Amino acid sequence: MIFPKWTNSLPLVLLVGAALAGGGVAAGVTIYLTPKYTRAGYQPVQPVPFSHKIHAGQLGVDCRYCHNGVEKSWFSNLPGASTCMNCHSVVLKEDPRLALVRDSASNNVPIPWVQVHITPDYVYFNHSVHVTRGISCVECHGRVDQMDEVRHVKSFSMSFCLDCHRDPAAHIRPVDKVTNLGWTWSTNGVEADHLQTVEGKKMVEHMRVESLQSCSACHR
Amino acid sequence: MKKIFNYAPAPTTGRRYWRSLDDLAETPEFKDWLHREFPAGASQMEDGQSRRNFLKIMSASFAFAGLAMGGAGCRRPEEKLEPFGQQQDNYTFGDAQYFATAMPTRTGAIPLVVKSYEGRPVKIEGNSLYPGSNGSTDRYAQASILDLYDPDRARHFKHDGKVVSREEALNFLDELSKKFAANSGEGLAFLAESSTSPSRARLQNLIAQKFPKAQWFTYDAIDSGIHQRAATQAFGQSVKPVFHYDKAKVILSLDADFLGGEDDSHNHIRKYAASRKAGDGMSRLYAVESLFTLTGAGADHRLRVAASELIRIAAAIQWGCANGLGMMPRALLEPKPAVDPQWIAECVKDLLANKGKCVVVAGQRQPLVVHLMANAMNFALGNIGKTVELLKAAEVPENDISNLDTGTTDTLVILGGNPAYNLNWSAKPKTIVRIGYYEDETAEKSGWNFPSTHYLETWGDAKTSDGKLVPVQPLTQPLFDGLTDLEFLARIAGSSQTSAYDLVRTTFGGSDEAWKNFLFNGFALEKPDSVTPFLAGGITVAKALGKASNAKTASVSKDNLEVIFYRDAKVDDGRYSNNGWMQELPDPITKMTWDNAVLISRKTAKELGVANGDIVEISLNGKKVSGPIWTQPGMADYSLGLALGYGRERAGRVGTGVGFNAYKIFSGKYIETGATISKTGATYTLACTQHHWSMEGRPAVREANLEQFLKEPDFAQEKFHGVEPPMVQSLYPNPLDEAKKTALHQWGMTVDLNACVGCGTCVIACQSENNIPIVGKDQVLRGREMHWMRIDRYFTSDPKRKDNKSLFNPTADENQTDENQQFAEWIDDVQAVNQPMLCQMCEAAPCESVCPVNATVHDQEGLNVMAYNRCIGTRYCSNNCPYKVRRFNFLDYNKRPLTELKGTMYSTTLTHKTDGEWDLKRWWNDPNSGMRTEDEWDLIKLSKNPDVTVRMRGVMEKCTYCTQRIEHAKISQKVKAGASGDVRLSEAAGTIPKTACQQACPAGAIVFGDVSDPNSTVSKLKLLPQNYSVLGELLTKPRTTYLARIRNPNPAMPDYHDPFSTEEYDHASLTKGNS
Repeated sequence: MIFPKWTNSLPLVLLVGAALAGGGVAAGVTIYLTPKYTRAGYQPVQPVPFSHKIHAGQLGVDCRYCHNGVEKSWFSNLPGASTCMNCHSVVLKEDPRLALVRDSASNNVPIPWVQVHITPDYVYFNHSVHVTRGISCVECHGRVDQMDEVRHVKSFSMSFCLDCHRDPAAHIRPVDKVTNLGWTWSTNGVEADHLQTVEGKKMVEHMRVESLQSCSACHR
Repeated sequence: MKKIFNYAPAPTTGRRYWRSLDDLAETPEFKDWLHREFPAGASQMEDGQSRRNFLKIMSASFAFAGLAMGGAGCRRPEEKLEPFGQQQDNYTFGDAQYFATAMPTRTGAIPLVVKSYEGRPVKIEGNSLYPGSNGSTDRYAQASILDLYDPDRARHFKHDGKVVSREEALNFLDELSKKFAANSGEGLAFLAESSTSPSRARLQNLIAQKFPKAQWFTYDAIDSGIHQRAATQAFGQSVKPVFHYDKAKVILSLDADFLGGEDDSHNHIRKYAASRKAGDGMSRLYAVESLFTLTGAGADHRLRVAASELIRIAAAIQWGCANGLGMMPRALLEPKPAVDPQWIAECVKDLLANKGKCVVVAGQRQPLVVHLMANAMNFALGNIGKTVELLKAAEVPENDISNLDTGTTDTLVILGGNPAYNLNWSAKPKTIVRIGYYEDETAEKSGWNFPSTHYLETWGDAKTSDGKLVPVQPLTQPLFDGLTDLEFLARIAGSSQTSAYDLVRTTFGGSDEAWKNFLFNGFALEKPDSVTPFLAGGITVAKALGKASNAKTASVSKDNLEVIFYRDAKVDDGRYSNNGWMQELPDPITKMTWDNAVLISRKTAKELGVANGDIVEISLNGKKVSGPIWTQPGMADYSLGLALGYGRERAGRVGTGVGFNAYKIFSGKYIETGATISKTGATYTLACTQHHWSMEGRPAVREANLEQFLKEPDFAQEKFHGVEPPMVQSLYPNPLDEAKKTALHQWGMTVDLNACVGCGTCVIACQSENNIPIVGKDQVLRGREMHWMRIDRYFTSDPKRKDNKSLFNPTADENQTDENQQFAEWIDDVQAVNQPMLCQMCEAAPCESVCPVNATVHDQEGLNVMAYNRCIGTRYCSNNCPYKVRRFNFLDYNKRPLTELKGTMYSTTLTHKTDGEWDLKRWWNDPNSGMRTEDEWDLIKLSKNPDVTVRMRGVMEKCTYCTQRIEHAKISQKVKAGASGDVRLSEAAGTIPKTACQQACPAGAIVFGDVSDPNSTVSKLKLLPQNYSVLGELLTKPRTTYLARIRNPNPAMPDYHDPFSTEEYDHASLTKGNS
């Protein structure tokens, strides 16, 4: 007998072992290397404890009051400290949490905010064409109006973009409701879904929404 | 019998279109070059080290990369966003801003609009608001933006080679001013380049008042002021001619390369192209010249003569004109130059038949006498006020540079220029104070050096060639500490105003409202009056004519060669030596990169026994210079063409040591006889791109004479070229057909070969817009240049003048290779055609079907797009592209300095140190770092267009029809549309974007637009009968089509003939359908 008895089970052990190892690698890659896991959940500490929940949520300040370039540029700008001081020269004048803002506004030194949402350099995402054409901030950024500290909630992978580009009707909303993050077509969830499908389709047709899927749309 | 289609048969009769003499003779080297997918060595490592060593190093690299995965590779880079402290009005981050400005030239200025992102200029475009302009520029303007980001710019104030502070340097100027104010400028001299700035003229006046004894010299190595001087002398008052080629029916160029080497050529090209619309009323161009220039290439009749002989030809033509008009004052002897008298007689007849509708123009290289004769002819023919406008001009005080007595001059102030390089001076003044853009040859000799600012960094003003005032407006703060000429002069003059803005604002005067409009528009509307004077200098002209007709025969021969010094099409007089884009641009005529050469005709080369690449020594008036020979078809016999501006010793890391310095034998005269050459025995390799990406003799360019075109407007179609497309249908539907139904636009382009003169502006514009790197001479020699668009230049020559034993003898073996042909004299008389070649955006693209990773696919609007991130670098697409328009990044051209782009074994991160630190360590600290030093790298990053990806090694790239501009236009329209469906771009609304090449083209030869809109210009052009697709028989359905070239020769001329190429087509149509 050349082979001992235990070799009979060797193929099975090897197969199962390979499957487990393969599965492990796949799971590892999925968990550690895909944007869904590497990006979503990112929540850095910012130099100034600015709360979107208070400003955008409770006070109802429109997103575009501060991010005023969003309808003109590919980039949604951060406001200069002077914008903050429009209110904070009166409200919370002496608050120590705003020391950096006051310093920035008076000495014109920038506040080093940590960037949360970022697309790779080879992706030419454009804010203006989305927000002026009925795609709400919430589609990519989530309910920022409910966040104290901004957190990365969506994956920002290529398939995330394509999901919407393949079916814009499921995401589009009236253009004047774009910055109203909590808005739905109806308070009734079932009806809202129905209206989204029907009205969304109408909007896509009326506005001639291209929602391009070709490479040139994002990569140049 | 089964019919086998030969889809793109190479002509069987030996080709008549050729790119070079090697091509014509079908030398084995040429064939070898042609038949490779990529040139030899382009895809190989050609060193003794070999693959084995390479693999060793690579595996080590991978090991390191593996290690790095745990560290550098997986880190999340934390990026900071730093907004303004004070929110800025009228500024949105990420939104491009445009400012009107102008680039000053020697005799004018080019009005510009410059695009800027976040305060850094990225792209220069012409100001299309400027009256008469089509928004074009010349190639120098396009390339000038690279100079702004040149790491070799002068950055410091220096005294005797030591860096001094700005304050110290400015104090020195103030002291200088005080010192010479005391002795009214005794011993003070200024040496300046010519300028049209009114502010500088004002300061110059101030200096003249304050220092009456000071001397002012204006010196340009390439002098373009002769047109004004000649007109002023001929008409007795200070006038400046403006040539309206658009109003001319007949144009005679006397060695005037107005489409190429003359100043203001982009305006000339625009006007000339306007007069060359195919059809009745097309203008005719006669060119008499010695060098083969772009003007000669575009001419309907070209007379090839020595430049020194031209004076007698001009005299003969003038004699003919005067005689024909009955204006001959006294019986002057008819000059008899040694050319075909019928050529001159018929040319004269044509001029006389078009009185008031013709123009005679003399070249700036020619002596004043020739210019005077040209003025007299224009006057006699009634062209003044019609095709030649004379504008009142400010007097130019003449002070010849030879009066500069360096012995008695105590202090010499040099503004710009580079006299130590291009002006041979002997004695040395005590102090030289110099303001310059580079620390160049002159800086080395100067005691005080002031860094100058770029025109995009500072305030200034200038006057265009047609006399309008334009502002030079800064786009950015000076990148390095610098002064402008104006600030510098104001300090010396002791003016109370020292800021450039104040000086320019004061010169302008006027209300603030007017000033704002001036800056917004980029020009002032007032222009000087035009005058219609008498030929006041008639006697001078008559004398000149008499002198010219009696001029002794120059009789150039192989022992008495003529030397022609010309302005280089790339580096100008040397000022763009350190501009990599310019160095790598193939010369429009020779297609040479990174070098100049001794241009010589085939016959002369044969007689002297020299061949391409032989280094010869040229002796002229006892001075000597050595350079490599380049045989150039179309050159006059016994003429040597020497491009100025090369052989710089202190140009910078790009330009130092490129080419040879022809200034060594230059004495201020652009044409000199009496030169001899001798072989040194050494040879030199020239990087010439004329064989690169060749299309192997298929009928890529098509042309006809005007009469033929009027008779058969569809002559350019396939049936006339023996290449009818096979009647086959694809079995599979083209996915684009489905997409076309819903897409908003379908993009397409036409290129008008009739308008294109081949100047190369588009190539540089494309390079600037699309972040195309330069690769250096060594890489060009390997065929790795990266230009997305190239200009193919084809030569044809007269088959009737062929040698009986030639390749073209129908009775001889048709496919024989006749090495001797390349030495035949008739080849020197050539016609040339220029064809811009860029991605044809085939609807059925051969490149797409072979890409294994779908990195190149179609989008719904008909663009053949290239997704860099998907590309794995197999290069199959390039292999399968019939147009050879795809380019591969063999190395990381952006991250490697030029010094690391040559040799046989390239450095890697493991073997190379930058700034004294191992590259691997630098990479660990910053994965973006390359082999560039810190200062270089920062400036390179600043210079890139943020709308376009900077490609890395191993990626294929190609023309995208400027997809970033299309996307920008579409997005703007969609933003404007908001909730409405008005998202389609239309020409009527002016929302169709322009591609960079189209935008820059002075001739308007390139038209881009929506072919699904029947009313768009491009759709209409595509319906013209002369519209054809290159290699259309391959059924690639290119979106880029060409409008055939129409020539307009005079049937009465002795050298009238069909385009030399048509015989080939006739022959091909006879043999078509062979099975």
